[in-house]
Amino acid sequence: MLELRHVCAGYGDGDVLKDVSCAIPGGGSWCVLGPNGCGKTTLLRVMAGLIPHRGEVLLDGVEIGGMKRRELASRIAVMSQINAVYFPYTVYDTVLLGRYQHMRGRLFGGPSAADREAVERCLESTGLADLKNRMIDELSGGQRQRVFLAQTLAQDPEIILLDEPTNHLDVRHQVELIDYLHIWCAQGGHTVIGVLHDVNLALRLSGSALFMREGRIERQGDFARIADGAFLQALYGMDLAGFMRDSLEAWKDL
Amino acid sequence: MCLLLGMGVGSVSISPGDMIAIVRSQLGGAALPERIPAITASILWSLRMPRAIMAFLVGASLAASGAAMQSVLRNPLASSYTLGVSSGASLAAAAVILSGFTLPFFQGYTLALAGFAGGLATVFLAMGLAGRFDRNLENTTVILIGMVLSLFVNAILTLLTAFSGEHLQQLIFWQMGSFAGLGWTNCGLVAAIALLGTLALTRFGRELDLMTFGEEQALSAGVELRRVKLAVIALCALLTGSAVAFAGVIGFIDLIAPHVVRRLFGSNHRLVIPMSALFGGSFMVVADLVSRTIVSPAEMPVGAVTALVGAPFFAWVYFRRRRGERRA
Repeated sequence: MLELRHVCAGYGDGDVLKDVSCAIPGGGSWCVLGPNGCGKTTLLRVMAGLIPHRGEVLLDGVEIGGMKRRELASRIAVMSQINAVYFPYTVYDTVLLGRYQHMRGRLFGGPSAADREAVERCLESTGLADLKNRMIDELSGGQRQRVFLAQTLAQDPEIILLDEPTNHLDVRHQVELIDYLHIWCAQGGHTVIGVLHDVNLALRLSGSALFMREGRIERQGDFARIADGAFLQALYGMDLAGFMRDSLEAWKDL
Repeated sequence: MCLLLGMGVGSVSISPGDMIAIVRSQLGGAALPERIPAITASILWSLRMPRAIMAFLVGASLAASGAAMQSVLRNPLASSYTLGVSSGASLAAAAVILSGFTLPFFQGYTLALAGFAGGLATVFLAMGLAGRFDRNLENTTVILIGMVLSLFVNAILTLLTAFSGEHLQQLIFWQMGSFAGLGWTNCGLVAAIALLGTLALTRFGRELDLMTFGEEQALSAGVELRRVKLAVIALCALLTGSAVAFAGVIGFIDLIAPHVVRRLFGSNHRLVIPMSALFGGSFMVVADLVSRTIVSPAEMPVGAVTALVGAPFFAWVYFRRRRGERRA
C-alpha cells in the first residue's frame, strides 16, 4: 500500500503538487491521466522519493523520506525514458547494474550466483538473451528500452513507476512493453503505476485511473465508472471521448 | 616498461641492466660495478628515477580523477579542471610567486602547498555555491558554477599576470607544467594520495556506472547520490590538487586516458579507474621523456607534449576501434 497524505511538492518556487492525498493498494496496475503540466511526473517523482516533499508519503505505513536509498530501491523502481547513453556498456552489464542494492557489501567482489541468475532470468523473459554481449549503444531504440526494462526487473521491486517509458518507441514496441508489465503485475502481487501520454496505451496498462488537474487528484477509481464525456472535456479542454470515437471510425472498415 | 624507458633515455643513456645494479647499490648497499661511473648512478637515482616516478603518479592521479568526473558529471568532456582546480591552484601559485611569500618551515614546498590549497578551495567553493542554489547538486548547476568560478578566478589571474612584470616568466612556466627538479621527497606524499585516491574511486565503481545513466536512475537504483557525489568530487579534487601542486597544470591526460581505456576495456568503472591510472601514468612518463629529449638540452613544456602526442593518438585509437566494431 502506497499512501500520500496532504502532499505538496515542487521545484524551487511554487508547488506543482498541491495537497495531494491518495491511496494505492498493493497489487494491480494504475495509470495517471491528465493534461500536460498537471503534475503527473511530479507525482511519480514524489512516490519514488526523488524530490523532497511536505506531507506524508507512506509505504506500508512507513514514511519514505526517512528510508535509506537502498531500502527504498529494493521496494520501488522507476523506469523512464533514457535519452542519452554516454558510455557504452554491454547489455549484460547494464542489466546487472539493476542488482546494485543487492550487491552492496561486496565492494571489490563480483556479483553473487543469485545476482547472475536473476540477471539471466530477466534477460530471458525480456527476450534479450541473444543480445547480452552486445553494446547498448549499438541497439535500436526498442531493444535498448527492453534492456532498461530488464534492468528495472533485475532490481526486483514491489512497485514499478513508469514515467513515459514509451516515448520514441514505435507502436509495436509500445504495446509489447505495456503488455509485458501487465503480465509482471499479475504475478506475485506487484504494482505498476504508469504515466503515459497516450491515453489508449495507458488504458491498456490499466483500467484503474488517477485523474489529475492543476496539481490535484480529481478522481480515482475504475476508468469506466469515474470518467464521462463532460468530465474528460473539462479535464483536457477538448472533447476527448468524441475524438476517440472519430478515430475508431477510421479503423472500423479496414 | 614506460617507466624504464623514462629513466633510461636522456643525454646519458643507461641500460636496464645497469639500472638494476644502481638501484641495488642504493637500496641494498651492494657495490656499484666498475663499468658504471658514479655520475651515471647519481643521474639515475637522484634525477631520472624520482622524475619518472613523479610523472607516473601525476599522470595516474589526473587520469583516475578524470575518469570519475566524466561519470559523475555525465559529460565526456569533464574533468576536475571543470570545477576550477587548475585555475584555483594557478591563482594561489601566482599570489605566492608575486608576493615572494614563503612558509617558515617548508620553504621549498610553499608553491606546491599554495597550489594544492588553492585548487581544493576553489572546488569546495564551487560545490558550496552549487549546494546553495540547488540542494540536489544537479550536474548542470555544478558544471555551470564550476565554469563561472573558473572564469572568474582566471580573470583575476590574468590581472595579476598583467601587472607581474619580472615574475611573468616564472608564472607562465609554472602554469605550463613540468617535472623538472622534483626529487624523492615529493614522491612519497603524491604516491600516497595517488594510490589511496585511486583505490577509493575504484570502490565507487558501481555507483559511477549507475550515475552515467542519469541521476534519477542512480537514485532509484539505491545510490545515496548526494553523499557519493560529494565523496567522489572531494577525492578527485585531492588527486588533481596534489598533481597540479607539484607539476603545474598539465591538460589532456585527464581527458584522453579514460576514453582510450573505455575503448579498450569497456565502460565498467571498476576496471576503467585503475586502468586509466596505469595508462595515464605511463603516458605521462613518455610525454615527459619527449619533452626533455626532443629539443635537448632545452625542455619543452610537458603540457604541450601531452596535447601534441595525445591528440593524434587519441584520434587513432578512437577511430580504429570504431571501424573494427562496425566490421564485427
